[in-house]
Amino acid sequence: MPHALTRLAREHGQKLLGLFLPSQLVLLACLAQGQLKPAAEWVWIDILGEGGTALFILIWLGFIVISRPAGRITNLLVLGLSGVFLSMWVDTLDEFIRLPATARWDQWLESGLMPLGFVLLTWGLHGWQQEQRSLMRQLAKRERLFRDHRLYDKLLPLCGAAYLREQLRLELGTRDERQPVFSVLMLDLDEFADLNRRHGRAEGDRVLEAVAQILVLNLRHGDLLCRLAGDRFVALLPRTGETQAQGLAQELCAALACYAHKTAPAGERLHLSSSAAVVMCEAQDTPEGLLDRLTRRLLAAKERKPPLRRAS
Amino acid sequence: MSPAWYERDERFIPARHQPALLMDLALSREVDSHALLRGTRLFLEDVLKAPLDLSPEQFLRLIANAQDCLDAPDTAFLLGQQLLPGHYGPASQALEHAANLGQALDILVGERQVLSPLLVPRLKLDGEHAYLYWLDPWGSGEARRFLVEMSQCAVQSMSRWLSGERLPWRFLFSHERPEHLEQYQAHLGMALHFGCRIDVMVLPREHLLRPWPRASATVCQAALAEGRRERTLAGREHGLLDRVEELCAARLRAMPDLDSLAAELALSPATLKRKLKKHGSSYQALQDGARLHAALYLVWARGYDNEAVAERLAFHDAPNFRRAFRRWTGLVPSVLRGWLEA
Repeated sequence: MPHALTRLAREHGQKLLGLFLPSQLVLLACLAQGQLKPAAEWVWIDILGEGGTALFILIWLGFIVISRPAGRITNLLVLGLSGVFLSMWVDTLDEFIRLPATARWDQWLESGLMPLGFVLLTWGLHGWQQEQRSLMRQLAKRERLFRDHRLYDKLLPLCGAAYLREQLRLELGTRDERQPVFSVLMLDLDEFADLNRRHGRAEGDRVLEAVAQILVLNLRHGDLLCRLAGDRFVALLPRTGETQAQGLAQELCAALACYAHKTAPAGERLHLSSSAAVVMCEAQDTPEGLLDRLTRRLLAAKERKPPLRRAS
Repeated sequence: MSPAWYERDERFIPARHQPALLMDLALSREVDSHALLRGTRLFLEDVLKAPLDLSPEQFLRLIANAQDCLDAPDTAFLLGQQLLPGHYGPASQALEHAANLGQALDILVGERQVLSPLLVPRLKLDGEHAYLYWLDPWGSGEARRFLVEMSQCAVQSMSRWLSGERLPWRFLFSHERPEHLEQYQAHLGMALHFGCRIDVMVLPREHLLRPWPRASATVCQAALAEGRRERTLAGREHGLLDRVEELCAARLRAMPDLDSLAAELALSPATLKRKLKKHGSSYQALQDGARLHAALYLVWARGYDNEAVAERLAFHDAPNFRRAFRRWTGLVPSVLRGWLEA
């Protein structure tokens, strides 16, 4: 938590100070020029409405600065929300402090900042949308049109087994004869448990991260990669027949075989070997049935490899 | 007289053993140490500073916290892969240098207090198979599934590592088919059976005597002697339920009643009842458990019919046994007969 606070202060400190100071200045100016209203004159519905709006805008501001890295779009969003907040703040102060009729500045602040804030906010949101589109392009092979962050894998920037099953269900559910076939590919590393034993789980995690990146790079646009469990990955290959899928599987294994992983402190070189299997969907398939068939094929492929009896 | 036992709130599990591995796993996944240790009455600084022991209760709480914080279905398997042979002193050394799997399993059972403090492993051998089954001696409640996943994975991973070959283990689980079946398949393989009323892993017996590359009879024997000496110094071993279950299982045909069991443990019947309750169990439950395990073995592995089982376990007659079996499992014995060979 302290780490998060220092990050906030470093990245957004100036902007937050830029919100805090003017609001205090306005408060001081009001107190200097005006008179406090007696409690009998307070209009509770206005206080709640205007004060409540100001409070919610502060909460939104909080979400923005906590969740976004510093940058142009964040600045626009913060500035816009700050403008709207200051306008509501002046409005709220009106309820407690009566200013002399000659003082017009509060009305200027109140009515001027609000539209300015909205313009900046809209500009920022437009930028956010553009940014999101470019992020989506990057994520395209890791998730499809449907997003649920609860289905993300906890270790890797991929979706997990639950998301995969959901996608398989959708893909199988919408199928009829006219639609093209799709295939599913399963890949896992050989002797990954041994790698974990020898080099530690932290190194194993790093290997998995690298493997995920390599697999994503070697898949086509429109394919979806998920982490099923442990070192086992599954790719959903739309509009792909079995032969083509087998070609892809060979490419993925070859890509991993060419990769020379370096361990973290020592830089020792690790070579990865992997096994893969594919299945093509069949008319009566269920997600569970499909994955079961695929897993058995993968294990059969592993059986065919010569056993790696470890030198001890 | 055999040494005294441990109870669920007594501290005897060194924090630097299995709990440290769990804490490492959680901390490496950026879990907050306060959230991880909440309710355990432990502080990270204390764990790091001095030798410290946990009670089963504390360790179970730690596991529940870790499950909540990590919220990932592979936690038990990741931990399981690291547990054995482990770094737990003489017991781990003995395991690492065992002559073969058979000896390793004997060591696991003999040194269970150190090697598997939360779940009791028991070994049963017959002509064809070795059966390693797991009992819950502390009343672990919801954590039980986690413990079983972890322990079965630990033994499988150890036998794979020390033998250098993949062994055809089959895994039976008392719980129903889980949501995250892919974790079981990726870590344990495809020979999985759920809803079995017992947690057991089975292996054809010929794999028990295949020599292991790191075997060293001298290291193994010396380490075992050292382990025995440490236990004698402590003056007690194993948990209360472990002890009671052992007494019941040894006398399947004529179960001791509560009074004689209490006398054997030098307790009053009321105290024994209270202590069993504290561990989430009862005399009846332990007695039923021991007979159920024996019955499952006879039905599944030996293919006995109801008459033969009833005779073996001293039931009045076959219908009597059938009813008892139904009460324990919700199934009739014939449903399960002979499927292990299938």
